[in-house]
Amino acid sequence: MNQSVLEPNGAEAERIADLALMLFGGAAIIFFGVMALAAASVWGGVSVRRAIASERMIVAAGIAFPVITLTALLFYSLWLMRANIQGNATPPAGRIEVAAEQWWWRITYVEPDGRRISEANELRLPVGREVELVLTSPDVIHSLWIPAIGGKLDMIPGRTNRMRVSIDGPGIYRGQCAEYCGGPHALMAFDVIALEATEFDAWVRGDVAGGSTETVRGRGIFEESGCGSCHAVRGANASGLVGPDLSRVGGRRTIAAGTLPTSRENLTRFIVDGQSIKPGNLMPPFGLFAAEDVDAISAYLMSLQ
Amino acid sequence: MAFVLLVGLGVAAAFLFAASGVYNVAASRGHWWIVDQFLRFGMENSVKARAPETSPNLDDADLIRLGAAHFHGGCAFCHGAPGSRPSPVVQHMLPSPPDLAERVDRWTDGELFWLVKHGLKYAGMPAWPAQDRDDEIWSVVAFLRQLPDLDARHYEELALAEVQVDGGGGRELATAESDPDGVGACARCHGDAGRGPQTKLVPRLQGQSRDWLARSLRDYAEGARHSGIMQPLAAALKPEAIEKLATYYAGLPPLAPDDDPRRGSVEEGQKLATSGDPGAEIPACISCHGSDGSPDYPRLAGQPARYLSAQLAAWRNGKGGTSPTHAIMAPIAARLTDQQIADVSAFFASQRVVGHPGLAP
Repeated sequence: MNQSVLEPNGAEAERIADLALMLFGGAAIIFFGVMALAAASVWGGVSVRRAIASERMIVAAGIAFPVITLTALLFYSLWLMRANIQGNATPPAGRIEVAAEQWWWRITYVEPDGRRISEANELRLPVGREVELVLTSPDVIHSLWIPAIGGKLDMIPGRTNRMRVSIDGPGIYRGQCAEYCGGPHALMAFDVIALEATEFDAWVRGDVAGGSTETVRGRGIFEESGCGSCHAVRGANASGLVGPDLSRVGGRRTIAAGTLPTSRENLTRFIVDGQSIKPGNLMPPFGLFAAEDVDAISAYLMSLQ
Repeated sequence: MAFVLLVGLGVAAAFLFAASGVYNVAASRGHWWIVDQFLRFGMENSVKARAPETSPNLDDADLIRLGAAHFHGGCAFCHGAPGSRPSPVVQHMLPSPPDLAERVDRWTDGELFWLVKHGLKYAGMPAWPAQDRDDEIWSVVAFLRQLPDLDARHYEELALAEVQVDGGGGRELATAESDPDGVGACARCHGDAGRGPQTKLVPRLQGQSRDWLARSLRDYAEGARHSGIMQPLAAALKPEAIEKLATYYAGLPPLAPDDDPRRGSVEEGQKLATSGDPGAEIPACISCHGSDGSPDYPRLAGQPARYLSAQLAAWRNGKGGTSPTHAIMAPIAARLTDQQIADVSAFFASQRVVGHPGLAP
């Protein structure tokens, strides 16, 4: 799983990597130049030291050089990142709304026909298609950062920020909230799964699986225990908007926003004692159910894919 | 130097006095007059120094009735009550518990509150078992304010409600199959078949789920749910008695909603209860507390608004216990505003229970 600026896999991340290479390379050259001058000023001959101390040297290396270098760098970076600054004339090929909430990601895939499909905590992207991420926050400032795909962009209450991403190859990348947002901020991550475009379309429009005879009991307990007051599952008696949509929770790689790998055991742990796994999260611990009932709920959730 | 020597001598003398066994600790002997005066002086000043200066409105029929019902079960054994003397056993304690009807006027409301809450060291007066339930303690103070004016008949009306305690015949009493004080302990506050609670500060148990009733009693018995009134009663129950009580109240038909004036808005409360407030991270109440919710959860329809508000406020303030149900409700209640608590309490209080087998369809 890739979470590195140095292994870019998207157009913007590549530009950032280029800029970073230039910045660090140039800085290294300047650093060694300065060190060489410092050495010469200590151990060099009289004429060398006099040249270093001359007024002309100070004007050239101390004033002219930085002004020219930094100006060049500024224009280069403006040119490089022009796509981010100018905005986009062409409409995006897809739109995904991402709302950062304390401390998870509410993700809505907006279909060309306006249909909205709710998901959470895992972002699936089509390879080779430019997608616009619409970034909002209902509570505090968060920041979306998928280092391998693009730069970070803050999500600010009352504001809508837009970010274009296009991804070069299928794979799994990791993103994180990059702005301290309270208690379990460090446990607010997500996976990005880049799929071939046809596969992506099939997934977005696909029906929710689950509901085998084996999981009927779990579904019954899930519904009567009030899970649906906070969580939504398409096709079940559960339409809550407080917490993450669980329609395909069993198909996600992680639960609790990148905190634990998805498994029946981990779901049970989170339901019974989520506060010790992700302290401060808004879900109360449901310690009052019998162990087999919670296990049945977890089995039902695992079947939702 | 002389001062240190003097203090040292004093400590040594006190130690010798205690070590010699000269002092008689017998409760049968009483204190010397001067010692009695000294202890009383110290006690009164200690209470006055610590008591709160403000009190809630105590002229409140619900508070008084709750306090009266608790007094009958919790206090009268030692302090007596109008129409019944304290046990001869406690009269031979030292100090012997006073007749409160004669004493309460010496204390302010805050001082009575402090005494009931904290008890008295070396005097046999226990502290309130649930130190975070000031609301319950004020109900006892509210009742104590009424006590001097009560005769036996009015006291029974208040404390026993209309519960007719029939201790059974002589055989049942002789073989302890019937405990004349225990019978009616629940009904004194919560009512019974067709008769609602005497006070709006306690829940209506009629028609609640058996699982929830039994769980609540067990939580009280284990101290996971805090109440100075319920904990001692529940702790005295054997597991079979808990099951029997839960079955009894679960089988009673639910009561029709009361017609008290509503403090909050029923319409606003209905919105919150049925849809929640996702922006404020508040889930819909009825997902758990409606008529088709899990039997692990209480049904809230028809519950008194004052009881609901008080419970929500206690959770919001981080009080009330450590039980699993507390762990679920406390974080949700913490997100509610005062107005939302009033509204949602008004809504549930106005609702009629549906779907109980004891009700006509």
